[in-house]
Amino acid sequence: MNFHIDNKQENLKTTERWQASAVSTAVVGTVFSFIILVLLVSNFIRATIVQDRREQELVEMKTAVYNRPDDEQLISQIRRMDLRFRQNLIRTRDFTRMGSYLLLATVVITLVGFKGMSTLRKKLPKPTPGIDRLKEQILNARYCRLAVTAGLVVLGLGALLLAVSPEVVFYDTRLVDISYPSAEQINHNWPRFRGPGGLGVSTYTNVPLDWDGRTGEGILWKRPVLLPGMNSPVVWEDRVFLSGADPNRQHVYCFDTVTGKLLWTGEVRIPPLKEGQEPLDIMNDTGYAAPTVTTDGRRVYAIFASGVVGCFDFDGNKVWEKDLGRPDNMYGHASSLAMYQNLLLIQYYQSAAEDGKSRFIALEGYSGRTAWQAKPPVGSAWASPIVIETENGYQLITCGNPWLVSLNPADGTELWRVDCLGADVAPSPIYANGLVFAIEPHMKTVAVRPDGRGDVTETHIAWKIDGGPDICSPVGNGEFIFLLATEGYLSCYKTEDGTRLWEKNLKDYFQASPSLVGDKLYLLSEEGVMFIVEAGSEFKELARNEIGEKCFASPAFTDGRIYLRSEKNLFCIGNPD
Amino acid sequence: MMRFGHIIITLAAVFIMCGLALAGTVRFPPPEFESGYELPDTTVPSPRSGIYDYIDTIVLLAALGLSSYLVLKKRSRRAIFVLVIFSLIYFGFWRKGCICPIGAIQNIVLSFFDSNYTVPIVVLIFFLSPLIFTLFFGRTFCAAVCPLGAIQDVVLLRPVSVPLWVESGLRLLAYIYLGAAVLFAATGSAFVICRYDPFVSFFRLSGNINLLIFGACFLIIGMFIGRPYCRFLCPYGILFRPLSRISKWHVTITPDDCIQCRLCEDSCPFGAIRKPTEHWPKEEYSRSKKRLVLLLVLLPVLIFAGGWAGSKLKTVASQMHPRVRLAERVRLEETGKVEGTTDASDAFIATGTETAELYDEASNIRARFGLGCLIFGGFIGLVIGLELISVSVWRQRRDYEADRASCLACGRCFEYCPREHNRRKKKSVLQETAIMKSAKTK
Repeated sequence: MNFHIDNKQENLKTTERWQASAVSTAVVGTVFSFIILVLLVSNFIRATIVQDRREQELVEMKTAVYNRPDDEQLISQIRRMDLRFRQNLIRTRDFTRMGSYLLLATVVITLVGFKGMSTLRKKLPKPTPGIDRLKEQILNARYCRLAVTAGLVVLGLGALLLAVSPEVVFYDTRLVDISYPSAEQINHNWPRFRGPGGLGVSTYTNVPLDWDGRTGEGILWKRPVLLPGMNSPVVWEDRVFLSGADPNRQHVYCFDTVTGKLLWTGEVRIPPLKEGQEPLDIMNDTGYAAPTVTTDGRRVYAIFASGVVGCFDFDGNKVWEKDLGRPDNMYGHASSLAMYQNLLLIQYYQSAAEDGKSRFIALEGYSGRTAWQAKPPVGSAWASPIVIETENGYQLITCGNPWLVSLNPADGTELWRVDCLGADVAPSPIYANGLVFAIEPHMKTVAVRPDGRGDVTETHIAWKIDGGPDICSPVGNGEFIFLLATEGYLSCYKTEDGTRLWEKNLKDYFQASPSLVGDKLYLLSEEGVMFIVEAGSEFKELARNEIGEKCFASPAFTDGRIYLRSEKNLFCIGNPD
Repeated sequence: MMRFGHIIITLAAVFIMCGLALAGTVRFPPPEFESGYELPDTTVPSPRSGIYDYIDTIVLLAALGLSSYLVLKKRSRRAIFVLVIFSLIYFGFWRKGCICPIGAIQNIVLSFFDSNYTVPIVVLIFFLSPLIFTLFFGRTFCAAVCPLGAIQDVVLLRPVSVPLWVESGLRLLAYIYLGAAVLFAATGSAFVICRYDPFVSFFRLSGNINLLIFGACFLIIGMFIGRPYCRFLCPYGILFRPLSRISKWHVTITPDDCIQCRLCEDSCPFGAIRKPTEHWPKEEYSRSKKRLVLLLVLLPVLIFAGGWAGSKLKTVASQMHPRVRLAERVRLEETGKVEGTTDASDAFIATGTETAELYDEASNIRARFGLGCLIFGGFIGLVIGLELISVSVWRQRRDYEADRASCLACGRCFEYCPREHNRRKKKSVLQETAIMKSAKTK
C-alpha cells in the first residue's frame, strides 16, 4: 500500500516537474516571439512607409528626367537613389525572411509549451448530473432544424443579393442585329461623307435655294458643336451625327433633326501613350476629327486621328471600340469611313508605299471584328473610299500613292489597279457614266473603266486630262463631271471623253466638296457662302447664300433640308413646313 | 497567464503571416542599365523528379495503413499524435501541401469535363486511396494523415464544445464549398480549393497576405474550436461522411461494452460523440411523422427552387473565370465605365485579339455557368432538404457512440473510457506474464 502511495506521489512530482518545464517553455517562447514580432512589425512599417515614399520620389525623378534628359546631376541623383533603394529593399526582405523563420520557430516552441501545459493540466471528466435526456434530444432536433432553415434563408438572401448585382453586358454578336440597310434606305438618307455611295449626289431635289445665316432666314435651327472637327454631318432618319475632337477628347454627337437637340455625346477613348511616344500633334488644317462618321441605320461609326474607331448604337451606348494603332500620317488621318452591307470599311493608308504600313480594313459593323484586311502597295492618302455597283458587281474604289485600286468589298481581294496617282491624294474618287474618276492633285484627272483585272494602267484608262483639284472631290451627273479647285475655279468636263466645256472663277476658297442636287450644284466656300450653280453645259449661277461662318465640311442633303457644319455650329436649313 | 499567452500567440500568428507575405511578394523591376550590361536569362527551376511521386504515394498509403492500425487496433492517441506530427511535416511542410487529396477533387472533376486534361495516376491514387480506406476503416485519413487536419490538431489547446445545431448549420458551408469547387473546376475557371487553402501559405512559408490572415484566423479559432476547417468547410470531408457511415470497421469509444459511465460525454473536441437516446414519446412520434412527410414532399421543391436560384447566379459565378473577368474589364474600359487599364487588359489589347472574340468566349462561358449553376443550386437544395430530413429522424441509440459520419478518429475519447483502461491493464498484465514465462523457460 505504501509502495502505491509513494509511486503515486512520485508520479505527481514528475508531472509537476514536466508542467513547470512546459510553463517555462511557453513563457520563454512567448517572450522571444514577442521580441521578434516587434522587430518584424517595425521593419514592416519602415518598409511600407519609408520605402514607399522613397519609391514615389524615385518615380517622380524618373518622370522628370524625360523632360530634362541632359540633366546629369538629376541622372546621377537617380542612380544613387535607385541603388540605395534597392539595397534597402533587399535588406528589408532578408530581415523579414530571417525574422519569419525565427518567429515560426519560437511560435512552435511556444505552442509546444502551451500544448504541454494544457495536456498536463487536463481535468478529469465531470458529467453533469440530472440531465433530462429526452428534452435535450427534442430541443437539439428542433434547434438543428431551425439552424438548417436559417441557413436556407441566409443562402436564399445571399443568392438574391448576388443575383441583383449589376451585370456587365457584352455585346453578344449572336444576338445582335446583323442586318444592313437596303439601297433604297441608303438613298433616302445621307449615311456617309458625300451621301449615298460617297458620290456627292442628293436623292432629293426639294432642298432650299435661299437662306441667310446672319438673319436666320431659312435656318430651322442652329446648335453649337462642343469639339472641333473638319468632318461632315451624316443623317439617318431623325438623327444627325458628327464628330469632334481635340488632343484630349474624342466625341461623337447625335442631334435630333427636328429640334436640333443634342441627344447624346459618345466618348471614344484616347489610347494611353506608349513608352517614349510623344502626344499626338496634328496640324490645324486637318484636326483630330477630320474623317466623317458613317452609319448603317443601326449603329454609327467614327474614326479619329488617334486611330481609334468607336461604334455606338442609336441610343448612344458604346457597342465597341477598336484601336488600330496611331497612323503614321504627316497631315493626320482624314479618310472617311464607308460601309458595304454590314462591313465597316476603313482606308488606313499611311507612311510611304515602301514602308508597307498601309492597310485597308473591313470590320464587322456589329462586332468590330476584322472581317478582312488588305495591304495595297500604297502610301498615305487622305481621300475617302467609295463602293460602286458595276455590271460585274460591287467594287470598293480606293486611292493611294500611286495606285487607284479596286477591291472586292466582300473579301478584300484586289480586282484591278491603275498607276495614275501621286503624292498628297485628298480628293475622293467618284463613279459616273460607267467610269471611275480619280484625281492626282494639281496634276491630272483620270477616268478609268472598272471592268479590268490586275494592273490595267495600260488598258483601262478611258481618258486623262491635266490638272485637278487638290482637296475638293469631283461630282458628276453622268453627262458632266465638275471639278472645284480650292482657289475657286469650277470647271465642267464631259464624262465621255474629258472635253472641257467651261471653267469659272468663283473668287472664293473652297474645302468642302461640291454636291449635286437635281440639276444644281451646291458649292460651299470657306467663308460660308453657298454658290448654287446650274449643272449644265454652260455656267449659270442661280443663287448665293451666306451662312455667316467659316465652313470646311461638306453639307448633307435630305428631304427638304440641308445640314451644314460651320467651324463652330451645326445648321439645319429648310422650310419650316 | 493562459489568456495572455493566447493573445501573444494570436498576435504572433498574424504578424508572422505579414512577414511571410512581405517576404513572398516583394518584387521590383530590374535596374535600367545604361552600361551595356546584359541581364542574365530568366531560369526556371527544373521540375521535380518523377520518383518523388511514387515516394509520396507510398508514404500516403503507408500513413493511411498505419493510421487505420493505430486507430482501430492499437487505439493509442499518443501514437496517432506522433503520426499527426509526421504527416504535418511530410505532407505539409516538406511537400508543401501539394499534392493533397482534397484538391485532387478538382483534377478529377476537370478531367470529366475537359477532354484535353488527363489526371496523373498519382493524383488519382491520392484522391481514391483515402476514400477507399474510409470505406473500410472510417475517417482514418482525417485522423492522422491529412496535413490540413494535422496543423489544426496541433494548435488545439482549449476545446470549446460547439452546440449541435450550430454544427448542423455551419456544415452547409462545406457542401456549398464542395459544390462551388466542382462547378469552378468543371467550367475550367479555378481550383478554388487550392486557391483558398488556408494553410498552404504556412506550409510554403510564403503566400498572399489575405490568405495568410485567413489561415491565421482558422488557426486562432482552431485553438478553441476543434478543427474548424475540417468540420465546416472541408469539401473532401463531405465525401467521407457517407462512406464512413457505411464503413466496414469504425473507431469505437469503448473497446468492448459501453457501461454508460458518461465519462466520455464531453471528451470529443469535435462534437462527434452521440449520447444514448430515449424512447420516442407518442405525441412526438405522430408530429415527427407528419413533419417527415412534409419534408419529403418539400424535397423536390427545394431542389427546383435551389436550381432556379442557382441559375440566377450564373453571371456572378462566371466572374471566377479569368476570361470572363478579363472580358468584363475590357468591356468596362471600352464603354468608359472605369478609369484606366489593368495589366491584364493591356496585355489583351497588345495581343491584337478581337474584343468581339473575347466577348463571345465570355458569353459561352457564362452559358456554361448557366447549366452549372442550375445543377449547383439543385444540389444545395437537395443537401438542405436531406439535412432537414436527417435532423428530423428519431434515431435509436443505446450506448455512447462515435458518430460515424462526423468522427475524425482522432482517438481522444479512448482514454476517457474505463473499459479502455481495463483493456490496457489486461494487456500489460498479459505482456508481463508472457515475459515472465519466457524468462522462466529460458
